[in-house]
Formats: sequence, C-alpha cells, structure tokens
Amino acid sequence: MTDRTLPGTRREVVLGLARAAGVAPVVLGLLEGTAQALPRGESSDIAILSAALALENQAIAIYDHGSRHNLIPAGLRHYAVEFRGDHLGHRDTQIAVLEERGGKAPEAFAESAVRSVAAGDDWIRQALTIEIAAQDAYGALISQIRTKDYLLSAAFILVDEIRHMTVWRRVLGLKIY
Amino acid sequence: MTSESSRRTLLRGLALAPFLWLARSRRAESRDYSSPAEVLGTIDSLEADVAGRLDAIAATLASARPLATSFLADHARHRRVRATVRERLRLAGPPIAGPPKPAPSKGERALDGLRAAQEALVYAHAEGLPAIGDPAAVDGLARNMIDLARHLAVIDLWLEAEAARD
Repeated sequence: MTDRTLPGTRREVVLGLARAAGVAPVVLGLLEGTAQALPRGESSDIAILSAALALENQAIAIYDHGSRHNLIPAGLRHYAVEFRGDHLGHRDTQIAVLEERGGKAPEAFAESAVRSVAAGDDWIRQALTIEIAAQDAYGALISQIRTKDYLLSAAFILVDEIRHMTVWRRVLGLKIY
Repeated sequence: MTSESSRRTLLRGLALAPFLWLARSRRAESRDYSSPAEVLGTIDSLEADVAGRLDAIAATLASARPLATSFLADHARHRRVRATVRERLRLAGPPIAGPPKPAPSKGERALDGLRAAQEALVYAHAEGLPAIGDPAAVDGLARNMIDLARHLAVIDLWLEAEAARD
C-alpha cells in the first residue's frame, strides 16, 4: 500500500499551513508521519473536520485577498471565482457535518493574516500552495474517516482540490501529466 | 448494502443551504455500492472504457500520444493497487477482459466522450470509497482517484483549449 507520509519540503509546507490554521495535534501527527492512524471514533472525524475547515478558511481568505487587491490576472479570474465557490461549498458542507456531530466550527481565517504577495505569478504560487496543502491533507486523512457520509463528501472535495491544483500548475507551466 | 444514508445526507445538505458545490453535477444523486467487489468490478470496467478511448484518440492524433502513454501507465499502476486491495479483502480477481468496447457513436466527439468516461471513472472511486470498509484499501483507492481526478482536470483544460481555438 502507498506510503502515507509526504515528501520532506512539501510536508513542511503543509505542516506550516496546518499549524498556522490551528490544526489539532492528533491530526498534525498523521500529516507529519509520526502517527500511523487516528483512533477509530467520532472524535477522529471531528478532528479531521476541524483541520479541513481550517484549511478551507485559509483558502477562502487567499482568494478573497487576491480578488480584493487585484492580484489575479484578468484572464484567470474565472478560475479564482470557481475555486473560491468550491471552497465555500466545502466549508459549508463540512460545517453542516461537524455541527451534526456536535462539533463547533473553527473561526474564519482573517484576510488580514494572509501574507502579502505581488500580483500575477506570485499570487498564483500562493494559491497553488494552499491547494497542494489541501490535497495533501485530504489525501492523508481520507482513509481515517469513519463515517460513510463524510467519507463520500471528502472524496468529492478531494477531486475539486486536485482540479484547482492542476489548473494552477498548468498556468505556471509546471508538469501536469 | 451501504444503505441510502450517504445519499440522504447529501440531499439533506442540499436542503440545508445553497450547496451549489454539490448540486453542480450529478454528485447529489450519488450511487450507493453494496460491496467492495462491486466497486472494484465497476472501476475495472470504466477504466477499460477510458483506456479504449485514449487508444483511439492516440491512434488518430499524434500529439495526444504522450498524454495517453502517461495516463495508461497510471492505469497499469492502479490495476496493481486494485490487485493488492482484492488480495487484502480476499476477493476474486477481475474477470478476464471481454471483447473491446464498440467505437463511440459517430455523433459523439472523441474528446467529449473521453471526458464523460473519465468523469464516470473518477465518480466510481469517490462513490465507492464508503463501501470499501478497510482503511488501507481506502487509502490505495483514494490515491488512484487523485491521479484520475488529475487526468480529468487535464482533459478539461484540453477541452477549454479546443473551445478557445474554435
């Protein structure tokens, strides 16, 4: 079976974002590769949901910041609008699942906390970084999800994250196949 | 049977909020699989369909050959992962491949047909994961799904480029 741990540099980026987003230590352990599995229980799903929501909030803030400060090239704004909409959908779906389980959604990520970058490629790299982090996090955590309804939602969320990542990689001229 | 619970939850979600994200596609009417064997059998069949379409496109369009070669290499790796999953879950191997699929109908553009087949393959993975019931097997199939979702995104970008040229 595939190794669940992430390559060094990429793992550091994901962990940095996850820590900044306030992801629970139990989930960080799995992303770091220091834990093999989460305890199989409702609390694991809640920890995963909280981690996922933290990353979704960060992604929304990055798209909002890029849009508000005209950092996104005109020809690519339709992608940014689509992807922001996806992240809002992911957030709302997971808040509904979390609240159904008695959990409390984390605070939104303040747009003021988004690192300032230049317009164009710099902003696209910033968007790509959060999409990679989201893909890596969902990819690492999905097998730990206990409930079938959340597993189904997470699978479709992961499909979206991969689309976002592939588009931004293509825009930056990086390999996509 | 995995029950209707996943579908019900999705539909309940749709009623709770304007979940355009879920409503955008057929995701709101997701298929419920009854067993890991059914999931794996469906994936085998859909993968063969995609492979046949990739072969057909590569045969007529030289510029598509690197893409087809790359995607088909991923398919070969995915089949090895599914073999491991079957072994782990003590399931019988895939049926011996039948005759090649009939060529797509004349009215269908090859790339549109490939896109539809690829989406069906990605969705079979996503909808099948809840029926697998084994974390290591879910992990393997989810990683295959990551490749396949990337293939789908590449095909979408190809379609967009074609549309921009028209």
